[in-house]
Amino acid sequence: MGSIAEPWGISTESENANATPKGLSRELRHGKTAHNMSSSSLRKKSDLRLIQKVPCKTLKNVLSNLQEVILGTKLTVLFLAIPLAVIADYYHYGRPLIFGLSLIGLTPLAERVSFLTEQLAFYTGPTVGGLLNATCGNATELIIAILALAHNKVAVVKYSLLGSILSNLLLVLGSSLFCGGIANIRRDQRFDRKQADVNFFLLLMGLLCHLLPLLLKYAATGEASTSLINKMSLSLSRTSSIVMLIAYIAYLIFQLWTHRQLFEAQEDDEDDAYNDEVTVEETPVIGFWSGFAWLAGMTLVIALLSEYVVATIEDASDSWGLSVSFISIILLPIVGNAAEHAGAIIFAFKNKLDISLGVALGSATQISLFVVPLSVIVAWIMGIKMDLNFNILETSCLALAIIITAFTLQDGTSHYMKGLVLVLCYVIIAACFFVDQIPQPKGTGLGMQPKNSVGGGFVSA
Amino acid sequence: MAGIVPEQWSAAENGNATMTAKGSSRELRYGGRTAHSMSSSSLRKKSDLRVIQKVPYKGLKDFLSNLQEVILGTKLAILFPAIPAAIIGTYCGFSQPWIFGLSLLGLTPLAERVSFLTEQLAFYTGPTLGGLLNATCGNATELIIAILALTNHKVAVVKYSLLGSILSNLLLVLGTSLFCGGIKNLQREQRFDRKQADVNFFLLLMGLLCHLLPMLFGYVATGETSADLIADMSLNLSRASSIVMLISYIAYLVFQLFTHRQLFDAQDQDDAYNDDVTEEETAVIGFWSGFVWLVGMTLVIALLSEYVVATIEDASESWGLSVSFISIILLPIVGNAAEHAGAIIFAFKNKLDISLGVALGSATQIGLFVVPLTIIVAWIIGINMDLNFNLLETGSLALSIIITAFTLQDGTSHYMKGLVLLLCYIIIAICFFVDKLPQKQPNVIHLGHQVMNNVAAAVGEGVFSS
Repeated sequence: MGSIAEPWGISTESENANATPKGLSRELRHGKTAHNMSSSSLRKKSDLRLIQKVPCKTLKNVLSNLQEVILGTKLTVLFLAIPLAVIADYYHYGRPLIFGLSLIGLTPLAERVSFLTEQLAFYTGPTVGGLLNATCGNATELIIAILALAHNKVAVVKYSLLGSILSNLLLVLGSSLFCGGIANIRRDQRFDRKQADVNFFLLLMGLLCHLLPLLLKYAATGEASTSLINKMSLSLSRTSSIVMLIAYIAYLIFQLWTHRQLFEAQEDDEDDAYNDEVTVEETPVIGFWSGFAWLAGMTLVIALLSEYVVATIEDASDSWGLSVSFISIILLPIVGNAAEHAGAIIFAFKNKLDISLGVALGSATQISLFVVPLSVIVAWIMGIKMDLNFNILETSCLALAIIITAFTLQDGTSHYMKGLVLVLCYVIIAACFFVDQIPQPKGTGLGMQPKNSVGGGFVSA
Repeated sequence: MAGIVPEQWSAAENGNATMTAKGSSRELRYGGRTAHSMSSSSLRKKSDLRVIQKVPYKGLKDFLSNLQEVILGTKLAILFPAIPAAIIGTYCGFSQPWIFGLSLLGLTPLAERVSFLTEQLAFYTGPTLGGLLNATCGNATELIIAILALTNHKVAVVKYSLLGSILSNLLLVLGTSLFCGGIKNLQREQRFDRKQADVNFFLLLMGLLCHLLPMLFGYVATGETSADLIADMSLNLSRASSIVMLISYIAYLVFQLFTHRQLFDAQDQDDAYNDDVTEEETAVIGFWSGFVWLVGMTLVIALLSEYVVATIEDASESWGLSVSFISIILLPIVGNAAEHAGAIIFAFKNKLDISLGVALGSATQIGLFVVPLTIIVAWIIGINMDLNFNLLETGSLALSIIITAFTLQDGTSHYMKGLVLLLCYIIIAICFFVDKLPQKQPNVIHLGHQVMNNVAAAVGEGVFSS
């Protein structure tokens, strides 16, 4: 395992790739999606020479394993924040400090989970690997959402998920297109729009699910009692969530089985640069069970840090003078998506827009049609009344973000102006939530209300 | 007449088609055949006239063969007994929900037959007049239901059923067609001509604008503006918009039938198509008998629509479904059943252009012809009906149009597109299913003009208080 001295080697893999027919893709073989290809750009060679000198074999294996997992990323230095956060919590340092440290600690973990799922995919085969990726790809967001639910902070859940979608659509995609456009200013920047289109139908469908409960509330007149409206909105949201999950399952079938070729368009331009860059680790560097154990352990650490984040978010908000909505919508997702973000930009620099798009749009779709409905259903099981009604400001930001991005990607080409507009849209939305000091949503955000009224969400009676 | 032509699928027709230049289309020659009527024709069957040939008396023979062509010429003929059943039910005092159900069933084959008859008449009137006839009668059922509901002062039912028709065409008919077509032709590329679809979307978006503006009036007005004033403004705007919408519809007809006919003929070019849809190339009934039949059918539709409109609230109460759900979801599913089946059949054959023509053409026709016509009819009979659908309904319409437009942007299709549209329809249906807001009920009950104004005022105020 650890004995592969040159993981970036051009030796075996590029020949291998050229030998396979186009239809049978790399993604098929290793369950690699654009998502983890992007993260993999942050990995670095681990130098195992030092460990080779350790005499005891078991110890050697443990150490090399540890090195692969912990030191295999350029973000390693951020791991230090994890013990610091734990210590800070233990000694009751300032809560804003704990919040900051936990956020920093989450950044490398998100990348490592993606690395581990990719490793496991080597053993489970492409289909299960793809499924694993489709589930764990946004594990951080899912864990934060569920923990915030457990704390009855429905507003934080809604905000952070919405923020994740916005950040993927506008910030990650925008900066990728912008950097890609600047770097390749003389070259034609093309991408396959079919893949992007599929994501947009699904995002628009998700938007419909958010819009209807919102409109239901506004359409009601004074005569309709608030509890009736909440009940309708809740049953609508729960049924819609089931429909959204069905759509997501259909999307997985579409992506992994019936129309795999659509999502492999980037493989067709068999240019060499691509093969060199992304086929970093073609053999598993850790074993199945150790990978599994690592994954479970990482998940626990993520859960711990998320717990800190959720518990200290209001204190951080108070002491930093930022509203909870701004922190949840803007800061949390920037940190949670940092690894993917960096990856998407790197691929855009190399004019591999298909991969950048796959990361940004795939992630947005996954959150919108998998994490959001799953949260609603988990809330249902836990007896919390969470509906799909984001507030009007948030829903319109989402609607415009989806529509602007969809229009931007209509013609299959890109230039830096497109990216710039998307980033500026994100800045405007961020400014909007920065100045938004309306106290009403904060009430639910503080989690002080009894369970029953939380269902009212943002529009309290 | 048609019985005399034993080989309707004949190769002669194919030869004929190949001889003509591509530009001069079959639609031109065979009387205003649009995707809409082609789709309905897939439900037709050859009638076997042998028994009738034995009848000695010639007048009777003609009459019988005519009857057989019209009544038995559809696969939906089995639903015709629902019509007398509904009438008998009314006289024998069946429970109202039963009459409602039977009338709905009876309307299904009638909608298809009207489309058949207009097509027959087009053989005599020539292509242009035929196209116009089709453009007017294509959604006759919806129009008649709307006008009857208007005369009963059920403005909400009118709005709901028209909106439901657009939604059902855009999401349900199109969604199932693309989905079934996608599953069936999984390994083949499914292409369509997006120019035709685009024209429909401009028009639908324009219709959306006309619905959006009067609604926004209510929201921009501040507390000082009296509700009467808002209702008045909204009404004037709606009436003016309706006239503009009708002008755009006329322009659309000119565009479709005269200047840019080739856009709408794209599907004529492959051969498989010629085999399938050129079933009846000669008129099977005479002009006057066709005309009489059409008038008769229209009367029967009017009768059944009257029953539907009169019994809708009772059905709503006894089934526990809201009037909005019945009008938006159930009515259009029944009214569009024939076109729906046709669109799916063509999608199975990978003829997406026809499926799209049916679904989008129908939606455009309702959005830009039936809706404004209804407003103008209401104006004439002195009812204050505006284009302001409610917030929820307008929102659903807007997103449906946008999603469908995005779906059809790239000229190809796969089952995922159909599935997403279908799921969107399901979500909207669920929304109206759970929607039990009491505010809409007063609109539906018999109300005079004065009361209608008050309701509009109440709605307007409710907006500010929420």
